[in-house]
Amino acid sequence: MRMAVLAPEVRSAAPRWLIRHETLLAAILVVALAILGLFNERFLTIDNLLNQGRLMTEVGLLALPMTFIIITGGIDLSVGSIVGLCAIMLGYSWKNLGFPLPLAIAFAIGVGGVAGFVNGLLITRVRVPPLIMTIATLALYRGLAEGISQARSVRNYPEWFFFTGQGEWLGVPVQLWILLVGIIMAGIALDRTTFGRTLYAIGNNETAARFSGLPVDRVKLVVYTLSGLAAGLSAWVLVSRVTTTRSDMGSGYELDVIAAVVLGGTSIFGGVGTIWGTVVGLVMIQLLKNGLALTGVKGDATIIVIGAVLIASTLIASSLHGRREVAG
Amino acid sequence: MKQLMKHRMMKTAALVILGVAMAGGSAVAADKWDGGDDLPTSPLACDAGPAAAAAAKPYDGGQTTGAPDKAGKPITLVDVPKLIGIGYFNATSKGMQDAAKEIGNVKVTTDGPTEAKIDEQIKFIDNYITRGVDGILFAANDPVAIAPVLKKALSKGIDVVGYDANSQPDARQWFINQAQFNGIAKAMVDAMAKEAGEDKGFAIVTSTFTTPNQARWIAEMSAYAAKCHPKLKWLETVEAQEDNVLSFNQATTLINKYGDKLSGLFGMTSVATPASAEAVTKAGQCGKLAVVGLATPNAMKPYVNAGCVKSVVLWNPVDLGYAATYVIRAVVDGKLKPGATSVEAGKLGKLNVVNGSEILLGSPFIFTKDNIKDFDF
Repeated sequence: MRMAVLAPEVRSAAPRWLIRHETLLAAILVVALAILGLFNERFLTIDNLLNQGRLMTEVGLLALPMTFIIITGGIDLSVGSIVGLCAIMLGYSWKNLGFPLPLAIAFAIGVGGVAGFVNGLLITRVRVPPLIMTIATLALYRGLAEGISQARSVRNYPEWFFFTGQGEWLGVPVQLWILLVGIIMAGIALDRTTFGRTLYAIGNNETAARFSGLPVDRVKLVVYTLSGLAAGLSAWVLVSRVTTTRSDMGSGYELDVIAAVVLGGTSIFGGVGTIWGTVVGLVMIQLLKNGLALTGVKGDATIIVIGAVLIASTLIASSLHGRREVAG
Repeated sequence: MKQLMKHRMMKTAALVILGVAMAGGSAVAADKWDGGDDLPTSPLACDAGPAAAAAAKPYDGGQTTGAPDKAGKPITLVDVPKLIGIGYFNATSKGMQDAAKEIGNVKVTTDGPTEAKIDEQIKFIDNYITRGVDGILFAANDPVAIAPVLKKALSKGIDVVGYDANSQPDARQWFINQAQFNGIAKAMVDAMAKEAGEDKGFAIVTSTFTTPNQARWIAEMSAYAAKCHPKLKWLETVEAQEDNVLSFNQATTLINKYGDKLSGLFGMTSVATPASAEAVTKAGQCGKLAVVGLATPNAMKPYVNAGCVKSVVLWNPVDLGYAATYVIRAVVDGKLKPGATSVEAGKLGKLNVVNGSEILLGSPFIFTKDNIKDFDF
């Protein structure tokens, strides 16, 4: 839609895919990786990259529905807390309520769905702004996790349970397959379905979308519920990877997730964004952190670099935006 | 409307489930003190004499596979504490640097998460394994969750030694035990009985009920008090994370709640102890209400010098980091093998092996008004 207003001169000067934010970001990513690869021969190895994929999955699963939500102009700050709550429900229902483990996993994911649904319900029915609502549930869900667990951690899961978080299938970490399936499904949903088009319509102009007869509230309810379900899935993968359940799990994830989505070119004002961009943003943050650590940059300095990269890429994006505005 | 009803029902169902879950959680009642763990305890003898030697336990640590022989050669170590930027781990880190300087052919870097989060800590260790180091020193945020990544290090020939907070024994080779749990427990309970009185009531301010060290100490304190000071009355254990404000509030609540029945407070963390002392000071109960706890000297100096706190129990964290570095060097040099009963650790002399694969730093250290000025950490 936005592309349609581009003046012909600009379009002929550069193919439009070239000046897209995601393409630029991907180019920056490739350059950064090449430089880091030169500094450390252990960085660009299959082993390391697959391992990074393993570590990236929990945040990655959350980033997909977050892209949907931010495209509608909303936000979900409670995802990290839902991860904590689901992790606790998984451990608690298995250990204390005596659920068989597969049922406990399903139950935990279900709790995530309910938690997301409650977010969506209050946002659409009571018209609480998403920021306020999810800040409230950020505290509420974390509090529930701590209350239910009584700060006790659950351990001693059976060996098969660790397959999801630590196992491999065809040489690739199991959770990376889950993430790949998620990415493909989310990509198709956003790009090829009326559901996806509705998200953009809501983000661009919610009132117009309503008057066009689009099911705005129902779609919003769906995306917040999806976010909760993804948090449940993420909790399962996380518990399986670290072999224990703690109520502080997932704290701070919301910022990593939003950083990846926004770095990937999704506008925080809604209406703009792609799954492909989110994936590039996600990979970029993960590999930058890893590459810097391997090159000998310490933890605190790494955070500074990540912050600088976020600012720089936002500047590049907004200067591009400026050119488009002028062109339009 | 029908749909709304359905939503309501789902919400109600969710609340009921949560309610049941929470009721289940609080039903775990026991006659031992809250906040202790369920592991067996081994209280020391009541008199001051040395404890009877515990039955020797076979080595239960892990083994590296395919470690290169670096005996006498320079090695690079990484130290991944629970978190960086706090006084305690700055002190252990200083001890490591001191030891590295003395030994000469050891290089240690300290790096870790800025918050005590286990998944962050795992990522740090994972990255250092990929990067390639000769040895890893760690203080675990969670003994079980850290095990897989440490085992991965062992399988790649990297030596692994823990200090301060242990992992599962088979995930590392050795662990430097800063003070045995029953030793700390005895020092704490003896001090409390002496300062508050043999038949008085006291309460405990801890971090959380599952923090491994605190849970172990409380379980041992409970066992030791039952054996040697049976008239001491335990009133309550409260959780205060490791949060200054929360610790102060929890301690103040205890003072108001129990009034004259409360004659002493145990602080189980280096945050809870000064905060409890502050709460007692603010309540004007100095001298009437004893505060005994684990804490670092700098934080406690004002209260000790004012006479509000008589004994602060701890070990020397600089020595802890120092010993860890000597131990890992000894492992690389082949001087410390499974089954050994002691190890040489520079200025600390000979340290004993206990519990199969732990190396004991020594008896707990008690800071008092007379000696606290000699310490700065």
